[in-house]
Amino acid sequence: MKVIVNHDACEGHAKCQAAAPAVFEVREDDLSYVLVDEVPEDQVENVEKAIRLCPRAAIAWAKES
Amino acid sequence: MTTADTAPLTLDQINLAYPDLFEQGRHHEAFKILRREDPIHWNEGTEEIKGFWNVVRYDDVVAVSRRPDIWSSERGIVGSEPRDEQEAVLAANGNGKMLITMDPPRHVRLRRLVNKGFTPRAVASWESHISEITKGVLDDIAPKGQVDFVTEVAALIPLAVICEIMGVPKSDWKLMFQLTNKVLGGGDPEYQTDVPEEQRGTVEAARTTVNIGTMQMFGYFAQLLQQKKAEPGDDLISTLIASEIDGDKLTDEDILWFCFLLILAGNETTRNAMSGGLLALFNHPDQRKKLQDDMSLLPSAVEEMLRYVSPVTHMARTALQDTEIGGVKMKKGDRIIMWYPSANRDEKYFPNGDVFDITRSPNDHIAFGLGEHFCLGAGFARLEIRVLFQQLLTRFPDIRQAGPEQRLRSNFIGGIKHLPVEFTPAK
Repeated sequence: MKVIVNHDACEGHAKCQAAAPAVFEVREDDLSYVLVDEVPEDQVENVEKAIRLCPRAAIAWAKES
Repeated sequence: MTTADTAPLTLDQINLAYPDLFEQGRHHEAFKILRREDPIHWNEGTEEIKGFWNVVRYDDVVAVSRRPDIWSSERGIVGSEPRDEQEAVLAANGNGKMLITMDPPRHVRLRRLVNKGFTPRAVASWESHISEITKGVLDDIAPKGQVDFVTEVAALIPLAVICEIMGVPKSDWKLMFQLTNKVLGGGDPEYQTDVPEEQRGTVEAARTTVNIGTMQMFGYFAQLLQQKKAEPGDDLISTLIASEIDGDKLTDEDILWFCFLLILAGNETTRNAMSGGLLALFNHPDQRKKLQDDMSLLPSAVEEMLRYVSPVTHMARTALQDTEIGGVKMKKGDRIIMWYPSANRDEKYFPNGDVFDITRSPNDHIAFGLGEHFCLGAGFARLEIRVLFQQLLTRFPDIRQAGPEQRLRSNFIGGIKHLPVEFTPAK
């Protein structure tokens, strides 16, 4: 599964990085970047937490294309 | 007090359109009943206002907040809609014109003009300056030993910070305090100073107060805007003057509405989180002792203050299409009110939610809202509150309540107007 961060909404609160540091990284520009192409099985729960805790609701699973 | 006032509330007595339950401090009792018995509760209208749905559960508030495409802010975010056509037009005056009353996609673009100034990184760069401001405020009260914590401390710090961010000169800060009180506290007789004394306390007096405050605010900022155009500074108003959306400059009207929103949002909210937070410490001596014994608990205590106080009590939304919340069908045009103090004590996420617990974990409160309209100034609020309590409890460790607090008569701002405190004077 792929996860995406909507950069129109992201404001660098870094809750995602705290919840799933292996998946998200907030950089100098105050935006969160996804570090992996596919989210590994053992990170799914952390990503779910990041989605839930993002104050800006900026994170979502990518829709299967 | 009559028996009716003290008898337990029942579902049919709950009407959240009016400030009474809030002023009496019985709103949490009402919310608990609603969460248990009727979590999507139809609030009957009156001759003056239209009816609306009360949304009181955490999950439902979050679900609404995540769908700004369905739940519009452009028909107003405060309270219920007036029935009277003319009043509705007046109340809708700022709708669609401020970030807080604007829907995507314009909301996204306008917010991006300013949000870099409010990111955690940007906020952190203000810490030493906010410490200085706070120290100055506490220096002024130190020799007194007895003050009104709200007007002499809690009001002054957020006021100074937002005015500096915006570029409002210090000589005008007091005026800003008075005008924000009129606009957001207009329903409270104490701020109805433009109305003859015998008429204070009426709906009409509230409306007049808010309107006069709003006009004076716009008049003030219209002048300031011209000054900033002539002499731009390193401040938010100057940034807005220079900003463009898709190649278009913001109009003067756009900028004035921005100023109106920022000065209100930056003032009343943090003030009440501070005052309510201190009151919570006074009322829970065990928690206060725990904090003073170990000030490293402060960040966690600040989050608990935000949850427990939830100074902004609600945001309203209007359905842009037929939809549902929590299994209840809603029609296009239906109005809902999301109640944050209720969501933040929802039994599902906050066991013993009525208990003030500075070590609460997890504490995923939504006092700042969530999603598209998440409070732009949340980082500043958190920092200002933390710095204040760090200094306050260090300098005046024996600070205590010296008289009853006075609550604001409002169902929008969980406010405290006055909180007398005393402490051993210091230099």
